[in-house]
Amino acid sequence: MDKDFAARRRRDLIIAAVLAAIAALTPLFVKDVVVQNILILTLMYAGLSQSWNILSGYCGQISLGHALYFGLGAYTTELLFTKFGVLPWFGMLAGGAVSALIAMGLGYPFFRLRGHYFVIATIVIAEIGLLLFHNWEWAGAAMGITIPIRGDSWLKFQFLRTKLPYFYFALALCCLAWFVTWWLENSKWGFWWRAVKDNPEAAESLGVDVFNSKMGAAAVSAFLVAVGGSFYAQFVSYIDPESVMGFQFSLLMALPAVLGGIGTLWGPVLGAAILIPLTELTRFKFGGSGRGVDLIVYGTLIVLISLALPRGLLSLFSRPKKTGAAR
Amino acid sequence: MGLLYGLIAVGLALIFGLMDVTNFAHGEFLMIAMYLSFFLFAFFAIDPLLSAPLVAAALFVFGAVIYLLLVRFAMRAKANAGMVQIFTTFGLAIVMRGLAQYFFTPDYRSIPQSWLGGKTISIAGIFLPEPQLVGALVSILAFVGLYFFIHRTDFGRAIEATREDPGAVALVGIDKNRVFAFGWGLGAALVGLAGAIMAVFFYIYPDVGASFALIAYVTVALGGFGSVFGAFAGGIIVGLVEAVTALVLPPSLKSVGIYAVYLLVVFIRPRGLFGSI
Amino acid sequence: MTALLETRGVWQRFGGLVANSDVSISVGRGEIVGLIGPNGAGKSTLFNLIAGVLPPTQGSIIFDGEDVTNLPAAARCQRGVGRTFQVVKSFETMTVIDNVIVGALVRNTVMREARRKAHEVLEFTGLAARADVLASDLVPAEKRRLEVARALATEPKLLLLDEVLTGLTPTEAQTGVALVRKVRDAGITVLMVEHVMEIVMPLVDRAIVLDLGKVLVEGKPADVVRDPKVIKAYLGDRHAVGA
Repeated sequence: MDKDFAARRRRDLIIAAVLAAIAALTPLFVKDVVVQNILILTLMYAGLSQSWNILSGYCGQISLGHALYFGLGAYTTELLFTKFGVLPWFGMLAGGAVSALIAMGLGYPFFRLRGHYFVIATIVIAEIGLLLFHNWEWAGAAMGITIPIRGDSWLKFQFLRTKLPYFYFALALCCLAWFVTWWLENSKWGFWWRAVKDNPEAAESLGVDVFNSKMGAAAVSAFLVAVGGSFYAQFVSYIDPESVMGFQFSLLMALPAVLGGIGTLWGPVLGAAILIPLTELTRFKFGGSGRGVDLIVYGTLIVLISLALPRGLLSLFSRPKKTGAAR
Repeated sequence: MGLLYGLIAVGLALIFGLMDVTNFAHGEFLMIAMYLSFFLFAFFAIDPLLSAPLVAAALFVFGAVIYLLLVRFAMRAKANAGMVQIFTTFGLAIVMRGLAQYFFTPDYRSIPQSWLGGKTISIAGIFLPEPQLVGALVSILAFVGLYFFIHRTDFGRAIEATREDPGAVALVGIDKNRVFAFGWGLGAALVGLAGAIMAVFFYIYPDVGASFALIAYVTVALGGFGSVFGAFAGGIIVGLVEAVTALVLPPSLKSVGIYAVYLLVVFIRPRGLFGSI
Repeated sequence: MTALLETRGVWQRFGGLVANSDVSISVGRGEIVGLIGPNGAGKSTLFNLIAGVLPPTQGSIIFDGEDVTNLPAAARCQRGVGRTFQVVKSFETMTVIDNVIVGALVRNTVMREARRKAHEVLEFTGLAARADVLASDLVPAEKRRLEVARALATEPKLLLLDEVLTGLTPTEAQTGVALVRKVRDAGITVLMVEHVMEIVMPLVDRAIVLDLGKVLVEGKPADVVRDPKVIKAYLGDRHAVGA
């Protein structure tokens, strides 16, 4: 049985490597900027959703306020860059660290909340963050921060003429998030998280430190999401409170996971691969006065998936053994 | 204003307390109510205040229908039950917003000429806006009515019973689905009432639900899930906090006070003030 | 030899209700001790106090020579206290083996070791054939065994069993009894709360009877069963505690 398990683990890794390789080659075939854009966003959201999944899927603490970390990453990086000239590469790490610390700091008082109370608290906290930044003069308040771009530079991670570096970074981020999940899934932390999600009381009786488990999940999740935020900031070159801390990001991080399969390794990636291009395309085609259409499609999809496949699309592919006949 | 928040919240609390389901589309119910009021006014020249009962009734039907068509299935989910409810109603909210945008366009609408609009009364030297005042009055009446309904009538008790033990009530001849559908209808009607009144002094647009929705959830959570009275009390507190915050902080930060109070309350009492869940 | 577990003058009050009053018991190494008593006697409360779910209002709990009164459940598990739950609390979305691995992780932080240990425990408890089955798909008797398996994976010195034999068919109960004996033979001390007298009495070395929150009698099962106080407690007319 152990051999099966090890084999499955290796198989996942190989599939990931193959997919990553294929993805890495796509820019050679795809030159259309719009499509490249969609791909970059898809990869980014896949990475973000995968990171969200760590706290909310594996550990079961549903957060709809992750936009906070996204925005913190973006703002930390850009503030350090525009005010102190710190290169975005370092800024990203700083943003990640700040987010992780804040996630843990918030966890301390709020991890005691259960269910709906917790979700609402996360939403509320993100909103507070948004409002605070909205009124913070030094950080640009409502005007936001515009990143000055003077030509291509790897050092400053900004590119005018081509989107390729952004693409590869997004791919790297997605791979990183996936890999971290893969690694943690079969680690003490992964098991602890799932135990905490299923039954915290039982977990405690088995020696699991419930509180620290949640903290760990929150920190990792926040760190990765913040890096994503930093990336996004460099990608769009302009940030303001609504555009990086808005509720829509919290949603967009959660939805792919729910669609694909929350708490699973491939769920968020699958979900993002379907949801993001769909969203972008419908917005592209029906943009303008009939704008509601993309929302209608979007919303209906969510409703259908939630009702028909509560475990996400991935549950279509896995058939858990019901009657366990021994091998 | 707080009382109006209370009204919206009570509708939400009812649904939640009843079935342990949080209706994330509640804001959108409000939006529909407001639009309905608007159109009744625009096409039939019925003053919103008069059409309020009509709107409430329409929302009642709507709420019940949504339950029967959608929510009922969402509640059957065995895996990830909480998530399913959240996302089903959330998806619904998004669809409703999309439909509103499609059919009504994103333009802002308002009801300029109403029996109440824009008038103020002076009570003990303080000028109070009439619409809000009437709204508050209606809220109180609705709440009192609801209270009596739940605690004194048979049907009200059936709702309580179904909440306690949905499986057992079937043995006593209570049809769980009918009770739930009614609950949803009632919750929707309450928010419909709020919407009709608010249509008088708020702009109406597809996303209007969203801004009030969050306040409604915070209100219910503040008062504690499962407690109708809590929702009402929460509403009052929220209204007060909002007013005070507006005096002290710049207007765009007005909601921060409410949020901060929520976090504080929930930190001290993880189940809200009167919560039973 | 010092006792493995001692409670000294433990009181537990919930508001005005006294669930346990001045309970002082001890469990020696290698014993199987039964904790019995009529409904409402305070067995579950005492159980939870020993397991560390909540601290006692008064009194102290000594485990393996250490005062653990203020240690929470997870810490006590690390010290060697394992427990099962009366209402089975399996990790429903995880497979049987994964459930057990969670327990094994307390002492085996390297995954491969934890996995190996989990397999061992599954063999020991007879669940090896169901290793890859989702916990939610098990039949109740198997779920009970999973509870025990999980707790065993934490390599406890003391295993607290909460009504593991209640509500089983006679065959299942016999399997259960055999398992408990096997656990003791492996060197683990057992304290079990039980209702089903006919099954428990032949199994335990010593029985402690609680009634109305106090220790009524303790001693060899044969003696306890014949004690008039015990008979009165079970058969006599009793009204609810605190009425």
